[in-house]
Amino acid sequence: MNAVALANRPEASTLPTTEPLVAIENLKVRFGDVVAIEDLSFTVRRGEFVSLLGPSGCGKSTLLKAIAQLVTPASGKIVLSDPNLRVGFMFQKPLLLPWRATLDNVLLPVEIQLGGSVVDVTDRQRARLMLDLVGLGDFADAYPHQLSGGMQQRAALARTLISDPDILLLDEPFGALDELTREALNEELIRIWQSGNTRLHTIIMVTHSISEAVTMSDRVIVFTDRPARLAEDVQVRCSRPRAPEDSEPGSIIKRIRTIVKGGR
Amino acid sequence: MRLRIQTPLIFALLALAVWQVIVMAADVPEYLLPAPSVILGTVDRTLAVQLAVTFVEALAGFLIAGVLAFGCAVMFVRFSTLEQGLFPIAIAVKTTPIVAVAPLLVIWLGTGWWSKIVAVILICFFPVLVNAVKGLKAADAEYRELFQTLGASRAQEFRKLRIPYCLPYLFSALKISSSLAIVGAIVGEFVGATQGLGYLIMVSSAHLETATLFAAIAAAALAGITMFYVIGWAEERVIFWHGGNMD
Repeated sequence: MNAVALANRPEASTLPTTEPLVAIENLKVRFGDVVAIEDLSFTVRRGEFVSLLGPSGCGKSTLLKAIAQLVTPASGKIVLSDPNLRVGFMFQKPLLLPWRATLDNVLLPVEIQLGGSVVDVTDRQRARLMLDLVGLGDFADAYPHQLSGGMQQRAALARTLISDPDILLLDEPFGALDELTREALNEELIRIWQSGNTRLHTIIMVTHSISEAVTMSDRVIVFTDRPARLAEDVQVRCSRPRAPEDSEPGSIIKRIRTIVKGGR
Repeated sequence: MRLRIQTPLIFALLALAVWQVIVMAADVPEYLLPAPSVILGTVDRTLAVQLAVTFVEALAGFLIAGVLAFGCAVMFVRFSTLEQGLFPIAIAVKTTPIVAVAPLLVIWLGTGWWSKIVAVILICFFPVLVNAVKGLKAADAEYRELFQTLGASRAQEFRKLRIPYCLPYLFSALKISSSLAIVGAIVGEFVGATQGLGYLIMVSSAHLETATLFAAIAAAALAGITMFYVIGWAEERVIFWHGGNMD
C-alpha cells in the first residue's frame, strides 16, 4: 500500500476524545407537514465512530443531510466546533459519473474546488494514492460500467477521501451491496480510519443493521420511528476487530434489539 | 456492421430488379412509372448541384437550430421563469404548420438561401429544445446533492453534470431533426426558389418528367439518410457510456 506518501498528517488519533465536535441542539426538521426530526439533541465527540440506527424512513438520513447542510432545520441548530472542519459525505449509491474513468471521478472534488484551473500532476498522484488506499489501484482507467457494485462504491469512497475530510458522513454507504462485499468494505473503512494515513478522525454512519452498527462503531444512537427522537445512546467499548458472534458485541446487539422492539 | 448494410442492400437491389422487369414486361408509360434504368439515366451534374444546394440549406438550418435550441434549453433550465414564459410560445410556433408559414418567409427573406434556412430552423428547433430541456433535468436529485456537498457552483453543475447527462437526449433529438431538416428545406423551395431539389421536383412534375422527379425524390431520401447516419455515428463515439448504468 502506498499510504506512506500520505504521511505528514496531523497526529490522527482514532480514540474517542471528550472534545465535542458536532453538537446537535433541539433540532427539528420538517418537510411540509411531515415532521422528520423532533427535538433532537446529542453531541458527537472528536475521534468517535457513531452509528445512527433506526427503522427505515425514520429521519436518520435527514439528520445526516442536516449535518452536511443539505437540509435546513425548521428550528434548533447544528454546531460544528471548528467552522473549517472538512466534511465528507458518502451516499448509498456510488453516484459515479458514467462518462468519466475512475481516476477522473476521484478527481471531481478537486476540479470543483479549483474552479477554472486545471488539475495537475500532484492532484493526479493523490487520486492514484486514494485508489490504492481503497484497493482500486489497477482500475484507474476503467469506466464505472466496467466496475462491480462493490468497486464502484470503493471508487466513491476514494472520491470522498480525496477532499481529505476530518469527518465522514456515511448514508448507508454499502447498503445496496451483497453481504460479503459489504462486510469487506466495512473492514476496509475501519482500517482506513484507524490507519492515521488520512486526516479523517470522526465518522457518523447511518445504518439500519444492528450488528453492523455494533461491530463498527464506538457509539450507537438508536432512533424512534418518525419523527426521529433519541431512543437510546449505547456505548460500545469492545476492542476491534469485532464479530457479531463474540460475546460482548453479541450482548450489546441483543440489548439494542430489545430497545428497538420496545420502542415500537 | 458490414452485415447490417449488406442484407438490406441485397433486398433493395432485388426490389429494383423486380420493378425493372415489371415496367418492361407490362410496357408501363414512362410518365407514369419510369424503369429504374431510365431514372438512373437522368442522374447528371444538375441533379448533384440541386442536391448540394438542398443539403447545404438543410445542414446550415439544422446546425443553427441545434445551437439555438440547446442554448435556449440551458437558459430555460437555469431560469425557470423563462421556461414558464417562453415554452408555450415555442409550442405555438411548433404547432403552426411549416407549409403555412413558408410563403411568409419567402415574402420576408426572398427566394434565396435564407428563406429555406429559416424554414429548416423552425422545423428543427422544437424537438431539440424539448429533449434538451428534459435531458438537462434528467440527472437524479442525488447527483445534484453530491455536487452540493462538493460545493459546486451552478455553472460547474451544468458543465460537469447536467450537460453530459443531457447528451443522449440531445442526440436522439438531433436524429429526429436531421430528417426534418430536409423536409424544411424542400418545403421552402416549393414556395419560391430557383434551385434545389424542391425546385427540381416542382419543375419536373409540371413538365411530366417523371424520371427526373423520381431521381430528385431518391436524392432527397439519400440526403436525409446520410445526415441521420452521420449523427448516429457521432453518437456512438460521443456517448460511449450509454447502456452502462446511469445510477
